[in-house]
Amino acid sequence: MPEPILSIRKLTKRYGDKVIFHDLDLDVNEGDTIVIIGPSGTGKSTLLRCINLLTRSESGQIWFGGKEITAKGTNEDHVRQQIGMVFQNFLLFNHLSALENVKLGLIKVKHLSKAAAEAKAMEELERVGLADWAGHYPGQLSGGQQQRVAIARALAMDPQIMLFDEPTSALDPELIGEVLEVMRSLALEGMTMMVVTHEMGFAREVADRIVFMEKGSIVEEGSPNEMFNRPKFERTREFLWKITELYGKKDHGEE
Amino acid sequence: MKKFLQYFIVSILLLSLLAACGTKSDSVLDKIKTDGKIVVGTSADYAPYEYIDEAGNKTGFDIELMEEIGKRMGVAIEWQDMPFDSLVAAVANGKLDMSISCFNYDAERDLTVDFSDAYYSTEDAFVVSSAFTGEFNVPEDAAKYKLGVQSGTMQDDWITENLINTGLMSEANLSRYERVDQVALDLLAGRIEIMMADHLPVLEIAKKNPDLKVIYQGELSTGPINIVLPDGDTAIKKEIDKVIKTLQDEGFIDELAKKYFSE
Amino acid sequence: MAFFKLCFCGQKYGLLVLPVIRQELKGENLDFLTLLKYIAEGTAYTLGVTAIALPSGLLIGILLAFLYVYGGKGIARVMNVYSTIMRGVPPLVLLFLLYFVVSKGINLSGFWAGSISLGIVSSAYQMEIIRGALLSVGNDQLMAARAIGMSRKQAVLNIVLPQALRLAIPPWSNEAAIIIKDSSLVYALGVPEILRRAQLIGASTQQPLLAYMSAALIYFVLVTVTNRLLNMLEKKLTVPSNH
Repeated sequence: MPEPILSIRKLTKRYGDKVIFHDLDLDVNEGDTIVIIGPSGTGKSTLLRCINLLTRSESGQIWFGGKEITAKGTNEDHVRQQIGMVFQNFLLFNHLSALENVKLGLIKVKHLSKAAAEAKAMEELERVGLADWAGHYPGQLSGGQQQRVAIARALAMDPQIMLFDEPTSALDPELIGEVLEVMRSLALEGMTMMVVTHEMGFAREVADRIVFMEKGSIVEEGSPNEMFNRPKFERTREFLWKITELYGKKDHGEE
Repeated sequence: MKKFLQYFIVSILLLSLLAACGTKSDSVLDKIKTDGKIVVGTSADYAPYEYIDEAGNKTGFDIELMEEIGKRMGVAIEWQDMPFDSLVAAVANGKLDMSISCFNYDAERDLTVDFSDAYYSTEDAFVVSSAFTGEFNVPEDAAKYKLGVQSGTMQDDWITENLINTGLMSEANLSRYERVDQVALDLLAGRIEIMMADHLPVLEIAKKNPDLKVIYQGELSTGPINIVLPDGDTAIKKEIDKVIKTLQDEGFIDELAKKYFSE
Repeated sequence: MAFFKLCFCGQKYGLLVLPVIRQELKGENLDFLTLLKYIAEGTAYTLGVTAIALPSGLLIGILLAFLYVYGGKGIARVMNVYSTIMRGVPPLVLLFLLYFVVSKGINLSGFWAGSISLGIVSSAYQMEIIRGALLSVGNDQLMAARAIGMSRKQAVLNIVLPQALRLAIPPWSNEAAIIIKDSSLVYALGVPEILRRAQLIGASTQQPLLAYMSAALIYFVLVTVTNRLLNMLEKKLTVPSNH
């Protein structure tokens, strides 16, 4: 069996006295779509930020692409070029158009020529269905459109893994569907993805594995079938039932 | 607050250090000969000695005299106008080669600058507005009324020595102003009751303000007027004194006085 | 005429000055235009002082603001002290210090001593303006830039700074107006700018009200034109938005 593309060993994160999570172990294989669920404040977002080194963990190791990226002397910028991240609040660059948002990383980080960068950027915008909106600015786009541009921006860097931090939590209900659709296609194309979300419909349909985190540790993980139908822990069943009530049964755009 | 004080003191000390690094040059006469000009300071708000006419040109007794001195020395005059009470410091610090601005000799000024020989003399005057109803027989009577004076002048010193330090009046009774026309304005406005100033300048002001009356004229604080020169610079003093004497002997200065001081 | 429209459109208060001037002129055979011309000639000096003080204040201010926001705790503390001192001292005091004290070694003319002092004082205020703007842009924008692999330097220069400069325009416009008016302080060092000229001609013609009103009018025009131009710049740079 091939090596996991991402390995987390005994990862611990603290803010002052407060322990966010401790001794986390997790493996992600290439092509996997991992959905992380759990109550708010259990460190799910923090975990993602530790993976792309936006935050430093206190102890433990993260192995990515065969290298230990938590080791001293790692070029963080270089690591982040290979890990794409999509934020809850989109965080598009407000002073740039959609096209420029996607182009910028290609020009400044990957050092492509302006022409090459523009071509690639348009490709990615097409991929998320927003080629016609290339000249629009974030302030002129809906939330769903902004998030799709954010996804295009991350994809343009050709990352090996995409991290989604509650990508639809800040969206109006009608706009959630278009974003989930993009994410669905990505997963089907074989992109390695880690998604923190409450969207149970997506989790059930698209995830290879669901990871349930609570109180700073992983309670249980397994395939959607295992987690929804034969969970090992009562707590897992309880949580899934509650959240399915809210998000899963009332599927958006479906009857 | 303590930290602020520390930093402030340090910065002041640093600035003083920079200042101390200045080099003392030799006679300013050499510089004048090399540059072909004298940098002269004046405060052109003092008719009839130095003021600007309606076209905006500098003119007046001191101005014309200095221009003539320059001519006799074969150099041009570069005028630097600034508030009166900055002039002495500017000469002392080498920002000006000299200054002519109706200056009288003063021991305190002598500490940091030198004086040429006298080229003319002035008198003091006490001035009131037509609303004044008080008594005024001797100069010391001024202490009884609200007094105004231009700061940094001989009159300012005279009032301090003879009226304030002797206890005839408190310091709070005296208002100091940057320019003599400001003193006159406050006199007309009634904020002060008497002003003390050089005689001729107040006559000029009174020409346009019939409400002003000179009630006393005489030599109290003033007397001979001189050009202010850099401290210890004997060469330039010799040169300037020579030209002044020449102009006096020729009657040039008397002619100039007739032109500007005829009442 | 279009020039006047530029100045006074929406700011009719400026016109209040004109009746006062007319009143003063009644009964005087004074050539008002000559007086105004003499004072207006000081505009070159006023603009000169401003043209040195404002941009140098901006350059230093941006540099210091960067150090303050991104330089770490120790440097931030030093910047704070600098800001406190420069904003706590009246500009005139600094002017005199520079002219009489510092320039004993290096001979500075009144114009340069004044312009540099004003630039130094302004840099402290401008640092605070830029710093506020940098913080307003927020750390999230920085984070998003780093997430696509940009270095901290690239992120600050390409993402934070362009947005911050846009935010800084309104308070900066205010600072520009302040410097134009504060430039009058150099009168004390003998620079023949607008205020000093008003003083001189006011004294010689015994028409202080007229002289100072004229000076006020000129300053008013300078400040208004500057603010309008900066307003236009702000509009031009505004990012299109539906919100």
